[in-house]
Amino acid sequence: MAMATSTFSPHALSLKPQLGPKPHRLHLAPFPRLHAHRRLAAAAGEAPVEAPPSPEAADPSPAASNGSAAPVAAKAKVKVEAVEAVASPKFQDSRWVNGTWDLSRFGSTGGAVDWDAVIDAEARRRKWLEDSPEASSSDDAVVFDTSIIPWWAWIKRFHLPEAEKLNGRAAMVGFFMAYFVDSLTGVGLVDQMGNFFCKTLLFVAVAGVLLVRKNEDIDNLKKLIDESTFYDKQWQSTWQDDSPSGPKK
Amino acid sequence: MTSLSSSAATARATFLPSSCRAAPAGGSRRSRLLVARASSSSPKLPAGRRLRVAVVGGGPAGGAAAEALAKGGVETVLIERKMDNCKPCGGAIPLCMVSEFDLPLDLIDRRVTKMKMISPSNVAVDIGRTLAPHEYIGMVRREVLDDYLRTRAQKAGAEVLNGLFLRYEEPKERNGTYTVHYNHYDSSSGKVGGEKRSFEVDAIVGADGANSRVAKDMGAGDYEYAIAFQERVKIPDDKMRYYEERAEMYVGDDVSPDFYGWVFPKCDHVAVGTGTVTHKADIKKFQAATRLRAKDKIEGGKIIRVEAHPIPEHPRPKRVSGRVTLVGDAAGYVTKCSGEGIYFAAKSGRMCAEAIVAGSANGTRLVDESDLRKYLAEFDRLYWPTYKVLDILQKVFYRSNAAREAFVEMCADDYVQRMTFDSYLYKRVVPGNPIEDIKLAVNTIGSLVRATALRREMKNLTL
Repeated sequence: MAMATSTFSPHALSLKPQLGPKPHRLHLAPFPRLHAHRRLAAAAGEAPVEAPPSPEAADPSPAASNGSAAPVAAKAKVKVEAVEAVASPKFQDSRWVNGTWDLSRFGSTGGAVDWDAVIDAEARRRKWLEDSPEASSSDDAVVFDTSIIPWWAWIKRFHLPEAEKLNGRAAMVGFFMAYFVDSLTGVGLVDQMGNFFCKTLLFVAVAGVLLVRKNEDIDNLKKLIDESTFYDKQWQSTWQDDSPSGPKK
Repeated sequence: MTSLSSSAATARATFLPSSCRAAPAGGSRRSRLLVARASSSSPKLPAGRRLRVAVVGGGPAGGAAAEALAKGGVETVLIERKMDNCKPCGGAIPLCMVSEFDLPLDLIDRRVTKMKMISPSNVAVDIGRTLAPHEYIGMVRREVLDDYLRTRAQKAGAEVLNGLFLRYEEPKERNGTYTVHYNHYDSSSGKVGGEKRSFEVDAIVGADGANSRVAKDMGAGDYEYAIAFQERVKIPDDKMRYYEERAEMYVGDDVSPDFYGWVFPKCDHVAVGTGTVTHKADIKKFQAATRLRAKDKIEGGKIIRVEAHPIPEHPRPKRVSGRVTLVGDAAGYVTKCSGEGIYFAAKSGRMCAEAIVAGSANGTRLVDESDLRKYLAEFDRLYWPTYKVLDILQKVFYRSNAAREAFVEMCADDYVQRMTFDSYLYKRVVPGNPIEDIKLAVNTIGSLVRATALRREMKNLTL
């Protein structure tokens, strides 16, 4: 388990492998270790180091089970009609403390928080949960809120790498639109700025550059428009049999 | 349309006059058709004979319709297949239903004041902080509610039959009667199978749920439906305490790709379930995921009942044909996003009945299609915005796990909670505070952008 956890995190230095007793939750299922290792083996894409033979899985070792073997046995008996769910390994990271990221452990040398690492860690946690959803618990609530990461950290990470391309496109499109408008109407660049039609064109250009970044985006936008009117059509069909043109409202 | 409203609205002061505004401004062709069929020209029934209406189905829609019809002086027959039917249903009713339908408070088993929404990454938000002390979401048992409404209809003068509706026959001549065929179940003789009987009526209200036979007979067309799967789980008392006034909603791809998983408190147990439209075959998997997410809280519970039922996604293409119309689930009045239907069923039943009562001048005239269309127009006018908003919410926020994270973040906001509950509990759209609206829009876009950015990062990850 500890080995597997470390394969999942890239920050080998900041991650302290959890060697202590595991949380009980891991062992609520009849064969926790088996599940845990299978799942991890699949997730990590490599064989876990201490591969469990199945007999061991049926009888969890005391060190790992932390005294929860008795409830496991009891549970197995009532399993038939009781609500039971397959436990998967809980997300673990030394920086994840009490349902939030412990920002003090994300400090780079200067003492400032390394927000990039926080974003990395949260993406990892969400990916992990997507693959192996975890039971929600009110004692162990998740309080981390992505809004504590400042806006510039997001911009720096997600917008700046693309900004050059987008700005370049916008400038080119804008320049040629201005050129064509000028050549067709004779209105100069400065005068265009005071003109409503030209302002609209400018807006369309910027919005277009932002919305259509790849060719597939056009299809996606079309689909979105279809989807948004689909429900209206479903409602309106009542009114359409004797008045094909009449909208409902 | 104006020509119709001036002639008809005066004749029927009892019906909500605003319905005329709601009527679609269709082409001139249709207006002419409607005028030609307007009920002021429809024949008066012979003296001593009142308008007879069959209500098929004794759920909230049928019960409410039969009561309003009987009170309005219409001879009403309600057919219900199973009197103690315990329909699989969340059973949540908004506060306004209690007052609008004069429901006694002891029908309500649980008063939910805390809704917990849990995101894919297990961020939990308690919705309900903004509720006033007297506000709550009522949880009812359907067998109790249905029975109450039916009994009240019976007291108002409706005849309640225990039987299975089979089919109806169109009238032979223009203003003739419909023949309703049904299988009569006699509880006293204890005979199995029942006997085939039939009777004649002037109009039929189909309130027979998602698998409506009336809808099939009238060629109402199909709707998309979601399948909801629910397990009633009896959990130990100490765990039940947590759910005393709390309901939980789980969102996430694991729980349902396009709906939510829920834990709703019932009288002495909880209902754990989930639903989906797009991946019906995987419903068992989603149910297991829902159970897993609620794990500790329902651990050790015993499943006392497993149930599944279809939930309509949108109204049927045709909701009225001649003097036959649909209400409730049969018509398809279930909201997206929240999957709420009881209130709209009861309300549509009552509105339909009121339209019939008004159109028949308290049961003395024959009704026609235009009278039934008035109910549709009024219903659509009143509730279309609610349905549309919930559809948009579902499309935007149930799209992906990223969007769901943003949704839960958004629901943490007090302003959102107040608006949500106002519109849910009182079924009215309150204009919000513009400054708050802008703040909300900015925050929501921020949440969505952050969640989407994280999602992009997640795509590049391998664990």
